[in-house]
Amino acid sequence: MTGQPLIRLENVDKHYGALHVLQDINLEIPQGQVVVLLGPSGSGKSTLCRTINRLESIDSGTIYFDGTPIPAEGKQLAHLRSEVGMVFQSFNLFAHKTILENVMLGPQKVLKEKKSDVEPRARLLLERVGVQAQADKYPSQLSGGQQQRVAIARALAMEPKAMLFDEPTSALDPEMVGEVLDVMTSLARDGMTMIVVTHEMGFARHAADRVIFMADGQIIEDAEPDQFFTNPGTDRAKDFLSRILTH
Amino acid sequence: MDVLLDESNRQAYLSGFTWILLLTLVSAVFSLVLGVILAAMRVSPIPVLRWAGSMWVQLFRNTPLTLIIFFCYFGLFSTLGFKVSNNITVNNFWLGVVGLSVYTAAFVCEAIRAGINSVPAGQAEAARAIGLTFSQSLTMIVLPQAIRTTIAPLGSTLIALCKNTTIVGTIGVIEASTVMKDLINSNGDAVIEVFIMFAGTFAVVLIPTGYLFNWMSRRWAVKT
Amino acid sequence: MPTTRRFAVATTVIAICTMTVLTACSGGSSSSSGQGIIEKAKTTGTLTIGVKSDQPGLSLKTGDNYEGFDINIAKILAKGLGVEAENIQWKTTVSINREPFIEQGVVDLVVATYTINDKRKNVVSFGGPYYVAGQALLVDKDSPIAAPGQMDGQVACSVVGSSSASNMEKSYPNVQLQLFDSYSKCVTALSGSGVQAVTTDNIILAGYAAQPHNVGKFKIPGEPFTTEPYGVGLKKSDVAGCNKVNEILAASAADGSYKAAYEQALGDSGLPFTPLDTSLLTNCPKGV
Repeated sequence: MTGQPLIRLENVDKHYGALHVLQDINLEIPQGQVVVLLGPSGSGKSTLCRTINRLESIDSGTIYFDGTPIPAEGKQLAHLRSEVGMVFQSFNLFAHKTILENVMLGPQKVLKEKKSDVEPRARLLLERVGVQAQADKYPSQLSGGQQQRVAIARALAMEPKAMLFDEPTSALDPEMVGEVLDVMTSLARDGMTMIVVTHEMGFARHAADRVIFMADGQIIEDAEPDQFFTNPGTDRAKDFLSRILTH
Repeated sequence: MDVLLDESNRQAYLSGFTWILLLTLVSAVFSLVLGVILAAMRVSPIPVLRWAGSMWVQLFRNTPLTLIIFFCYFGLFSTLGFKVSNNITVNNFWLGVVGLSVYTAAFVCEAIRAGINSVPAGQAEAARAIGLTFSQSLTMIVLPQAIRTTIAPLGSTLIALCKNTTIVGTIGVIEASTVMKDLINSNGDAVIEVFIMFAGTFAVVLIPTGYLFNWMSRRWAVKT
Repeated sequence: MPTTRRFAVATTVIAICTMTVLTACSGGSSSSSGQGIIEKAKTTGTLTIGVKSDQPGLSLKTGDNYEGFDINIAKILAKGLGVEAENIQWKTTVSINREPFIEQGVVDLVVATYTINDKRKNVVSFGGPYYVAGQALLVDKDSPIAAPGQMDGQVACSVVGSSSASNMEKSYPNVQLQLFDSYSKCVTALSGSGVQAVTTDNIILAGYAAQPHNVGKFKIPGEPFTTEPYGVGLKKSDVAGCNKVNEILAASAADGSYKAAYEQALGDSGLPFTPLDTSLLTNCPKGV
């Protein structure tokens, strides 16, 4: 807030073999900002999102979170990850644990909170995302939309400083996309710092503070949503938008 | 059938299978613990551990058990002086347990590793993403799910272990197969009866064990 | 009776079956049915002799060649019966098939660490004893152990199921027993730290001690603590053959060939030569 960005990437490079997936990325994200990463598939937007909690390593450059460089491994890395919530395309709820256990696991095992303290908060979070009735079920008994909302609750239970969403609605049936986006929109309104990789242009237009457009591992455009959607600055963005919006 | 009615023969039979049971149970515990550690090493993020785990498996899985047991006595004990007890029978038992455990652990490790690989990668990723350490995500998230697909192969490994315990007879633990050979040598007229009694005892114990493990794997598999 | 009977099972089954069949058919057609070894040697110029194949110093088969004290004795007997050494047909026997082989005429003579006892005398005749063995200890050359009574808490090694092992167990319960499936493993273990003595018949121990790679490493201290007279087995009915065997043995003791037979095979063993006691050659069946 006070000058220092919550997330800062400096000269970040990454290769997959011969493929240069992230090319000299520089990016600052202040606290409370909602950033949507757009771009054609293979543009590096998912990879960029995953480097921020180091689910992907980087070859060179530095990523700062809350002022300190992200540690490479060990306990410090685990601690950093506990401060950055992550929501995956395929939900990844722990299959052998109930919904409630999924939400409570992190606070109990990572933050070492007492069960009696965690449980009311977990139930409150489930209520907030609208799946309180499913608390004792197993993930496979829930619909995709419900599972993804639980995944958001699970991330929120850690009281993270920022949330990463890696295509959170791509694996959902169309009728379930709305319920997940609603939860994300309300999070955005509450001031959560969010980085969202998505193809949902509606969300980008209405809930985001900033749109970053990537192609071939580079940031091509970095603009406010209105400006990006009405008057994109590059041909590649225009081309991308025309294909998405007419679709 | 007179052979089987003789009191000293019955004692020998019982003590033979007691050794089999003890060797199996104690080695099963050690090889399970060791196998889990090895499997953890093989999927760990640290290259040296992965390499060491893999070497262990390659070395012991591809060495005949007879040689390992032989080495435990003549190498470990006789030459290097590794000793657990001054009682030769107890000592030979533990030498056998060492041999059986290091050998069986290689198979346990591979069964568990296959189980770990059957757990979707996203489970471990999600575990790491909420801040669980490698060992936490392994023990709380991955292994409990892996164990279900591991039950059946672990059952086969246990059955193999039980039969393999007879090899410890070669270093002087008078287990069932040694008793059997001795009884057959001194009762040349009852070869078939003696054989059927000993082989039958193994079958009576091991066949239900196989069914039990299959049942457990089916029962636990449904839940997820 | 040192019993190394472990490969015997299959052979035994076959032998016993065969024996039963022969008995049932009253196998009178067997080549040597009424014939003694003296006639067989005279008419055919050959003899089939049953020997062990796995006892260094006594009777060890390497390739097609048999070597050792038992083999030397067998050659002396053959020579005495007028059969050249190269005309001897060697037949590998194990402890458990010696009686059946003699009864069926598979072999004419058995010289195979064959302890004379009354039970066996019911079935076969024994020439000899050509050697009086006894259970003893093989220990490291620097070991203070001289008798099993000094081994309380220490480890003696023998073969599973052997009479040496059970004798040790009964007579010296305070001595721990390490059991393997062969004496050669016991001797290997004796070189290490786990075993303080190997026990079986002294002459068998001597055979292992005389192996080139063992020479000078071990000794056989003290007196044997059992008596195992080794005899030459032949058909129970062949009394003349039996007496002839004793005659040849006595002659060999007199002319030095008996001593030469021992020295050639076991001279390096550390077990001193004992002259043949010809007064013991009294086991042949009386009469006829």
